[in-house]
Amino acid sequence: MLGGGFGAVGLAGTVEQTPHFAAKAKHVIFLFLNGGVSQVDTFDPKPELTRQHGKPLPGKKLPTDSATGNLMKSPFAFKKCGQSGIEVADIFPRVGAMIDDFAVIRSCYADNGNHGPSLMLMNTGHQLAGRPSMGSWISYGLGTLNKNLPGFIALCPGYPVMGPRLWSSGFLPNLHQGTYVPNNERTPEKLVQNIRNASLTIDEQQRQLGLLDRLNQLYLGRSEGRPQLAAGVEAMEVAFRMQMEAPEAFDLAKETPATHERYGDDDFGRGCLLARRLVERGVRMVQVYFGNSQPWDSHEDINSHRGLSRIADAAIASLVEDLKARGLFESTLLVVGTEFGRTPMIQSAGQLRINQGRDHNVHAYTTLMAGGGIKGGIAYGATDDFGYRAVEKRVHPHDLHATVLHQLGLDHTRLTYRYSGRDFRLTDVAGTVLKDILA
Amino acid sequence: MRVCILVLVAMGIPAFGQDPLAFFESRVRPVLVKNCYACHTKSEMGGFRVDSRERILKGGKSGAAVVPGAAAESLLLELVEHRNPERKMPPQAKLKDAEIADLRTWIATGAVFPETGPAPKLDPKSFWSFQPVKAVAAPEGTGAPIDRFLTERMKAAGLTPTGPADRRTLLRRVTFDLTGLPPTPDETAAFLADRTPEAFAKVVERLLASPHYGERWARHWLDAARYSDGQQGARDDDPYPNAWRYRDWVVQALNRDLPYDTFLKAQIAADLMPGQEHLPALGFQTIGETDNDRLDVTTRAMLGLTVGCAQCHDHKFDPIPTKDYYSLLGVFKSSAVSEHPLVGPEIVKAYKDGKAASDEKQAEVKRFLERQTALVVDVFAAQTAEYLMAVWKQETPAELDAEVLGRWKAFLKDSKKEHPFFAPWFALQATASEAEVRRTVQELQKAIEAVIAEKKAVDDRNYVKLGGIEGLKDVSRQVNTLVDALPIERFYFWRDVASTPFKSEDIKFDGGVYYFTAKALDRLLEPRVLRYANGLRAEAEALKKAIPALYPYWHILKDSDKPKNIPVAIRGDAENPGEEAPRRFLSVLCDGEAPAFTQGSGRMELANEIADAKNPLTARVAVNRLWQHHFGQGLVRSPGNFGQLGDRPTHPELLDYLAGRLVASGWSLKAMHREILLTEAYQRSSAAVGEKDPDNLLLARANVGERLDVEALRDAVLAVAGTLDRTVGGAPAVLDGKHRRRTLYVTVSRSKPDRTLATFDFPDPNAASDARMVTVGPMQRLFFMNAPFVAEQAKALAERLTGTDVARIGAAYELLYARPATPEEVKLGLAFLQGEAARWPQYAQVLLSAAEFSTIQ
Repeated sequence: MLGGGFGAVGLAGTVEQTPHFAAKAKHVIFLFLNGGVSQVDTFDPKPELTRQHGKPLPGKKLPTDSATGNLMKSPFAFKKCGQSGIEVADIFPRVGAMIDDFAVIRSCYADNGNHGPSLMLMNTGHQLAGRPSMGSWISYGLGTLNKNLPGFIALCPGYPVMGPRLWSSGFLPNLHQGTYVPNNERTPEKLVQNIRNASLTIDEQQRQLGLLDRLNQLYLGRSEGRPQLAAGVEAMEVAFRMQMEAPEAFDLAKETPATHERYGDDDFGRGCLLARRLVERGVRMVQVYFGNSQPWDSHEDINSHRGLSRIADAAIASLVEDLKARGLFESTLLVVGTEFGRTPMIQSAGQLRINQGRDHNVHAYTTLMAGGGIKGGIAYGATDDFGYRAVEKRVHPHDLHATVLHQLGLDHTRLTYRYSGRDFRLTDVAGTVLKDILA
Repeated sequence: MRVCILVLVAMGIPAFGQDPLAFFESRVRPVLVKNCYACHTKSEMGGFRVDSRERILKGGKSGAAVVPGAAAESLLLELVEHRNPERKMPPQAKLKDAEIADLRTWIATGAVFPETGPAPKLDPKSFWSFQPVKAVAAPEGTGAPIDRFLTERMKAAGLTPTGPADRRTLLRRVTFDLTGLPPTPDETAAFLADRTPEAFAKVVERLLASPHYGERWARHWLDAARYSDGQQGARDDDPYPNAWRYRDWVVQALNRDLPYDTFLKAQIAADLMPGQEHLPALGFQTIGETDNDRLDVTTRAMLGLTVGCAQCHDHKFDPIPTKDYYSLLGVFKSSAVSEHPLVGPEIVKAYKDGKAASDEKQAEVKRFLERQTALVVDVFAAQTAEYLMAVWKQETPAELDAEVLGRWKAFLKDSKKEHPFFAPWFALQATASEAEVRRTVQELQKAIEAVIAEKKAVDDRNYVKLGGIEGLKDVSRQVNTLVDALPIERFYFWRDVASTPFKSEDIKFDGGVYYFTAKALDRLLEPRVLRYANGLRAEAEALKKAIPALYPYWHILKDSDKPKNIPVAIRGDAENPGEEAPRRFLSVLCDGEAPAFTQGSGRMELANEIADAKNPLTARVAVNRLWQHHFGQGLVRSPGNFGQLGDRPTHPELLDYLAGRLVASGWSLKAMHREILLTEAYQRSSAAVGEKDPDNLLLARANVGERLDVEALRDAVLAVAGTLDRTVGGAPAVLDGKHRRRTLYVTVSRSKPDRTLATFDFPDPNAASDARMVTVGPMQRLFFMNAPFVAEQAKALAERLTGTDVARIGAAYELLYARPATPEEVKLGLAFLQGEAARWPQYAQVLLSAAEFSTIQ
């Protein structure tokens, strides 16, 4: 456990903490393409799948949550990209062009083929709701770099499946909970709850706070200084500063039209742009959900990945460009992830309309990492010939979490919190740092 | 030689002369114990045990695990070396290389394993919380028994307790404690005026008799019961429309001081108890989604045990074998969620019949209109060539439908399509002859008619596959039937011409050129057909309106018709069943072998076991919770975990004394409140008493000073502003700008927790909460600075105060802090106000935001 006494004094998270060892990264941006991105249509090319198109999957099928048919080739073409020659589907042209900056982890798997549990696992290390999220653990472990902004911010237009449980602080002090920002909104007032006063001027508020401070000091003098009370006074000052700084941080009108255009004037584009602005201002972790509900859930028609990737490609690539231009790429760990992959087999089920989609596939999916001390231009691990199952160097979400914490200078086995008589970890009793992808 | 031995040891080979038994005990057994025992001793996962040579050699379901002398051929090594990604042991983390080397050596040298194991572990029942509650007498001395227990410990530690709290402080403390509301100035004045020795006892009686007592203490229980007004859905809650009736039952049960043993029994098995009055108590069970959740929350809230940990393996720390988990799970699996209507059967029937008739008619309307739509598509498809000729010639012939023509024009504007079937049209040169164009459009018409026919054939085949009209109602059949489909480009071609609009998670389409429905379709129907359709629609509408309102009911559990034992699910995997677990109580809480339950599901027997005065946990857990909410911390500081990993009691004798008193009082919680509150310990000042006991474990001072929880805080704001609606009970409402009832009556959502409540540490209702986290953060301060709610209440508070500024300031201090303002505070207030009435709301907001308002001393 870091810094004894956390939780007793709720304000601990607003102070920068010392990591376990030298950190490569100071920030994390976790872009979550929610719904289940198909690996075989994006970052995991499978020529054998193309060859055997229309034939049954050879060998034994693993349990999936509904009936699937024969193998279906990807409608998208893959091509070798960058110096590394890693193959990327042509629906990700800009990310493909910068693939030498990414570690492409092709051997990810999870434990449950339903969205809810897999989302929970990827975000909190546990399938059931109630554990702290990765961002909360990071905020707890490292504190914030900017006292005027929350340490962990979660952006989603509306809510992803499972909602706020995905950025909950669980049993960690509530201060480490992700501050939810609905990024379909466009003005700072609507983005951050209670950030502005509807009727009072700053001068009036300052007078109020001046009086409040005096009254609290008198009270503290009488009540022999309980730490919680002191924290309350400090929190007030932070709140006032936040009120001054957050509107500017969240003000996208400060960006040029060209920048908006480059990221894409859509929720995810704006989310990535906000992520950049927040990281520039010292926010420890920003998570951006691609969209409300589960947009990547292409049961009906895998061609829908084309439209989704157009949005994702522009936003991800622009974010990398900007982080580099600002010298933040090396200190920011970028994770592009999803909750699970999709079957290489077609899903043609009675409740569907088009019958050209793919079902959930918990046995294989791809996660991208970049910046923050990650080795670029490598493909890590492998799935079988059809992209159905991760077979080489299999990577569980616990391993991804261990790696993220490691890059932040945190030993995942030592970042613990005692609750209900037990020391809890983000990685439970597992997790292996993916040393091979570290620069 | 010395060097040589070191090298050999490092390589894992027993050094010269090393006793194989010593090697086993020092290098092998510890590895097995640490890494394998949890699953491969009593719980025998995979049918395999590692605690005897015989069983190791025999192996489990996958065959012999160890071939003595042949390490390479031993399955055990294959597994621990993680050679096969499908079968890795231990599954989570690979053993250290040195440990694997030791195992290899041990096998290679004959797999020596002594007949007798190490000394057996201590009897699990010897752990303090599984020991019977001891009959303890309070130490000799004067004062209340509780004080005598505490004083004894303080004396031993050389601590002197603080004096009594100021009377105003005490009144504010006890009023918040028992009702979650601040005392009114009248109540404060009355208490100050009452100089009799019983003054405080009278206050306690008044508060215990208040209907708001139940509201306050119900919320503590509801935290442990993971209360919510809805079941977690993917996007939104699936509402439990009557969950609040359970909440109200808890409030009423506490208000009338229902004996605690009955209180617990009712929440497990009210349906099996005489009479129906406690049926709503079963909400405790039914507001959870799964049987596993029910088992977990029942054992955690009532017994302070984390039985849920034993779902996949024997409890690692407490004596709860996996089998016990499935014994209890069998009880819940033999019960089913049901509803108990609060109206007569005729009203239930009227609702169900009305709903069914309406649904049936809606379906009929839909089917009829779909047939008309299909007919219209066919008619237009047969005229495709004419429409396309008109588009080519840029004419608008009167005999063609203008809208369809318009749709074609719009569709053909853009040559980019997801299929190639209109390529011949787009290939036509501007100079093409009419004959050439006509040939092309006739070909296109044929293609369109063909693809529509093809789609129909596919749909017909699928209709049969899906089981016809009945099959279509079966969602799981829909999901699991592999159906036929048009090749994707053919599908897009058909879609562009004939499909209905659609939208799902990943796709969106606005409708085909020939597709018409609803009002747009009416225009194209024969008058007689239209009349019939409108008749159907009117009937459907009338039937829908005629559905009576959903009747009220209690969420209850019932025994299923065929209660049965379930097998242990090995490693929590139901597909991997082990031996059957008879339905019965936890073995560690029984003398000798736990007897099997025999009555129905066994829930009543389970309830009786839990609420038994002899159960060592139940009464201790209960009094500990009371202590926790009066003193900020329990005597056991892990109120939901009385097991090995939980905290040990700071005052074990006091805990047992209180548990005994609870039982002796006839399980009266109110009696226990009295006993706890009428002590010096409770009435002490919170002033510091030196450095000796920084965590205040010995309670030499009052253990207060934290922020009020969100319910008390919000309720207090409304109370002092004079806007609180004090109605007790009833349906919840979401926390919007109009909500003026107590926070207990805010809708609790599992999917979309209220942002304000969450900011102030309202617990996540997806799991039982043992204790509130109390944090103080900037988002909370922003709420007090900027939330419209606070500004409104400040305004109401300001308007409530009358007279001169000095009088109003004085009245505000009495209302908010239960004390007069000091001269300095009056001076500060006047300086802020500067005699301007308009500044009062701003001033009132500051008083509401002050630390003193949100803190109990």
